[in-house]
Amino acid sequence: MTDTHCPYCALQCAMTLTPSVEEGVSVAPRQFPTNRGGLCQKGWTSAAVLRAPDRITTPLVRSAQGVLEEATWEEALAYVAARVRSLQAEHGPDSIGVFGGGGLTNEKAYQLGKFTRTVLRTKHIDYNGRFCMSSAAAAGNRAFGIDRGMPFPVSDVDATGAVLLLGSNVADTMPPFVQHLAGVRERGGLIVVDPRRSATAALTDEAGLHLQPLPGTDQVLLLGLLHLVVAQGLADEEYLAARVHGWDEVIRSAALWWPGRVATTTGVPEASLRRAVEVLAAAAPSRGGRGAMILTGRGAEQHTGGTDTVTAAINLALALGLPGRAASGYGCLTGQGNGQGGREHGQKADQLPGYRLIEDPAARAHVAGVWGVSPESLPGKGVPAVELLGKLGGEVKALFVHGANVLVSAPDATAVRRRLESLDLLVVCDFVPSETARLADVVLPVTQWAEEEGTMTSLEGRILRRRRAIDPPGQARSELAILRDLAAALGSDVHFDTEPALVFDELARASAGGVADYSGLSHALLDATERPLHWPAPAGSSGTPRLFATRFAHADGKARMVPVSPGAPADDLRAEAPVYLVTGRVLAQYQSGAQTRRVEALNDVAPAPYVELHPHLARRHAIEDGDDVAVTSARGTAVARARITGTIRPDTVFMPFHWPGDGMANAVTNDATDPVSGMPEFKVCAVSVARADLLEVTA
Amino acid sequence: MSERVVVVGAGMVGHRFVDELVRGDREERFAITLVGEEEYEPYNRILLSEVLAGRADLRALTLPLPAAERVDFRRGVSAVGIDRDAGEVLLGDGSRTPYERLVLATGARAFVPPLDGLESEPRHVHVLRTLDDCRNVAARAINAKHAVVLGGGLLGLEAACGLRRRGVPVTVIDLDSHLMATQLDGGPARVLAGRLRALGVDVLTGVSVAEAISAYDELVAVRLIDGRVLAADLMLVSCGVRANTALAAGAGLTVDRGIVVDDALTTADSRIHAIGDCAQPPSGMTGLLAPGWAQASQLAATLLGREPLEPTEAAERPEPITLKAAGVDLVTMGVRPSRAAADDRVLTVSDPDAGRHVDLVLREGALVGVTVLGFPEVSPALTLAYDRQTPVPLDPLSLLVTGGGGAVEESPSPMRMPGTTTVCRCNGVTKKQIVSAWEDGARNVDAVAANTRATTGCGGCREVVCGLVDWLNASDPAESVSTAVTERNTPVETTT
Repeated sequence: MTDTHCPYCALQCAMTLTPSVEEGVSVAPRQFPTNRGGLCQKGWTSAAVLRAPDRITTPLVRSAQGVLEEATWEEALAYVAARVRSLQAEHGPDSIGVFGGGGLTNEKAYQLGKFTRTVLRTKHIDYNGRFCMSSAAAAGNRAFGIDRGMPFPVSDVDATGAVLLLGSNVADTMPPFVQHLAGVRERGGLIVVDPRRSATAALTDEAGLHLQPLPGTDQVLLLGLLHLVVAQGLADEEYLAARVHGWDEVIRSAALWWPGRVATTTGVPEASLRRAVEVLAAAAPSRGGRGAMILTGRGAEQHTGGTDTVTAAINLALALGLPGRAASGYGCLTGQGNGQGGREHGQKADQLPGYRLIEDPAARAHVAGVWGVSPESLPGKGVPAVELLGKLGGEVKALFVHGANVLVSAPDATAVRRRLESLDLLVVCDFVPSETARLADVVLPVTQWAEEEGTMTSLEGRILRRRRAIDPPGQARSELAILRDLAAALGSDVHFDTEPALVFDELARASAGGVADYSGLSHALLDATERPLHWPAPAGSSGTPRLFATRFAHADGKARMVPVSPGAPADDLRAEAPVYLVTGRVLAQYQSGAQTRRVEALNDVAPAPYVELHPHLARRHAIEDGDDVAVTSARGTAVARARITGTIRPDTVFMPFHWPGDGMANAVTNDATDPVSGMPEFKVCAVSVARADLLEVTA
Repeated sequence: MSERVVVVGAGMVGHRFVDELVRGDREERFAITLVGEEEYEPYNRILLSEVLAGRADLRALTLPLPAAERVDFRRGVSAVGIDRDAGEVLLGDGSRTPYERLVLATGARAFVPPLDGLESEPRHVHVLRTLDDCRNVAARAINAKHAVVLGGGLLGLEAACGLRRRGVPVTVIDLDSHLMATQLDGGPARVLAGRLRALGVDVLTGVSVAEAISAYDELVAVRLIDGRVLAADLMLVSCGVRANTALAAGAGLTVDRGIVVDDALTTADSRIHAIGDCAQPPSGMTGLLAPGWAQASQLAATLLGREPLEPTEAAERPEPITLKAAGVDLVTMGVRPSRAAADDRVLTVSDPDAGRHVDLVLREGALVGVTVLGFPEVSPALTLAYDRQTPVPLDPLSLLVTGGGGAVEESPSPMRMPGTTTVCRCNGVTKKQIVSAWEDGARNVDAVAANTRATTGCGGCREVVCGLVDWLNASDPAESVSTAVTERNTPVETTT
């Protein structure tokens, strides 16, 4: 019996694994403050991925005939090392790129960043968390001086009086989280903002409010709510004066977003806007309420103005005096399992462990000291994920991919495929032959969750232990071993531990004094206590479950409000593309589907992509339920079955993004990015829809 | 040496122009002076009626201040002359401000018709154009016993509703045969009048004020052109606006209804431009904000040496006009039925008793005109459909269905639920699987959960599973297992 956590999302539901003959392990949910003994179907069936029939158990190297063939570890690593040496000799260190993942343990994420900076010495590293958390991270840092998804434990949600949830379909993406909304639903305080009446929006049916705005108008909506707070004198002026900079400029930024204008821009009736403000203000502690929260998800964040939209959410929270108050504040619901930890320890283009900036000389000196290298030897800041992918085949000749399936998960997938194919060397570490792995020159088989030790940092910033229940199959190895061996093969004398507890100890030292300080933690401590340990956890502390009670993380302790002004989506409606596409997840699949599409029980429930559209739109195009529908943008077309439902806006279609092939949503999405965060605009682009058979006739 | 740009007028258009010029001028090519007649920081004039109605705090109107390091903002100073030869603007404080480029954004002022009795300028006769006007009207409203609003246009009606909200009895008087004649046909206007009367705002149309009657320099009544006399100790004149052109005229620039400019917003003097309510471009004067903002953007782009953006299809579409007043929801845009072309399709739903009216005008399948009154739950969606030209449903009337036509399905009773219905979303468990689990001996929720995993995710389906188990337990236990499954999965029609 091994206590660990689910391999999927950031809620990191607690589970107990028992070795079993058929599936490797059997899974049972475990009582824990986040999941309270609940698991969704993904968690229950997670063991199936361990024994996936096509699990990769030996290294694979592409032969002269272009076929991936089994190789020994020695052969595979020697081949990779030789190719890297020769490419770097010809094109310099920055010709190698590294693409990491938000599903990797803290130890792996840390080691990958270290390997990149000390062995490859390339500046070109980024990770798929860029597609996930970057806008909220940028806005959080800007406002609070720190980026921890939820600055309070999930259990605080139970106690609050109102939750404004923007662009997050938790009922599908992290179902056990819904338990924490029970109280606020009962109190009529749940407000969900989503262009679809999603399963989460439907939670407001009995009491609560669903605001269903036009995609791409969240920021306008938030400015409208802020305007009403100011207009009705509901701001917490005492708090603002004591704890915040920039309130006056922010008031002014909302002056042009009066309710009528906001209603006609977003499509949300004025009465709903007023009601939302009423509910939030009544729940604000400064007005005697039990607390109010504003939470954002990818729906609000994956836009070219995503950072500013989160900033608008934070501004609203600050105006109501929420952050740092009981059962109140702003939080971002992290997506990937280790989306939080993955962004703290060096996978981000501009960061070193401990959430340190790579261009800060003091940070370089500290981390270089821990690594035993000279600060000057560390590369500078690289570029965010989309830009990195754009350099493939150009400045970047080789790419290492860890814990990501970029071919399915990155925007404008057709262009991504072309760029991956133009590489001189693609090395993919994975445990299944993902779509990206199938394009690789070298595939290195790695361990997965039940086969490894490590830590994950959940959406509430709590550090959790992942524990090994069974041995990995065949020759699969941990990335920690692979990185050590590659370092040796590349002639590096930098030391790489392979024991996760030791790697964690080093990570803790490297993070000491940083924003995300883990220096007071160790595997032994995490194993010895039931006490929740949230970072910052400097040596001698017992962690920090709640941030901001007395100060924010900027030097002067005050939060920064930044005025924002909304723009249009990069790919906006026009006569040839008169409806918006939004994308998202379904309950029974996860991210690019590399794991969940290998689980029969999940495929039974969610077997294929689909296009959700409103009956008005369907009728106009003579589309019946189940017809193949072509969704076409300036970049590409995806074809999938129609699901006709009145729960979506008539000017919007929805596609889940878990599948490759004809129905791949990301063949249609736009790779325009947020100038601050580098987040691509997954969540809105202009498309046309047509019945696929009619399209072929006219084409 | 930077180019000196002087902007006269710190209203919403002058403010927008300065903002865009500063944003685009990264090399700091321009030295900008903004001259504003009012003492106040720039504010959102659109919301004055909201302030009057007590629905918005003044603070919510204040616009961002121009960046102090980039803009010399002269507040509370009027421009009194232009010396075109010297290239200088003469200010009311006696100073002169040199310019290489002059932008006139002097706006418009309220028009007050020459009524008898106004020559003596009695007290309690107001207009509503500036913050000071708003304060004066609000102050008078405290003691006023009966207000008359002269002019049943957009602003007049907003002000009337605002005064009514402040507890003042109000009569709106308009010479046209119906309210908002510039925007509305008679049908919706009559429904609107009914709506206003229901709110306690009296409406008199086809009549006007002939004389303001005052005693001791205070307004006491108005005499109408038909001879009727109404007691009135507050009159708000809302009869449209006139462009402020005196400055331009004084400088010898061509002035018609406004300051005449070409398509590039330039006057006959190539160094002088006019934008907003004071400008009269070849496309005409609208008195609306959005076109003024578009002119500000266009001129800023020109000065910055950028290609001004091609006017988009959306910009050329007449802007939606919204009446802002609590209790009245009116939005109108584009073509109205009386102006529709022969081939246009016009749909009208009128429900005067409920204060509701909708006109839709479609041209070649596209929505080109919308008037919607008394439907606050669909008016934003209709405005968006018009403004963004999103696909119109084959039956345009379905645009009026709340929630975009998505009927909320009732959750069926356990008995009537089809077997394929997913009961537990988190674990993808259907009714059929729960029935099977029951057949296999799972006789309570925990046993069903252990067997099927239903209820073990978010727990939201627990009640439904409970209901299913209760129903199954209540059914005949002697029933044969093999037939029970099929029968129970067949929807059962209940007789009433």
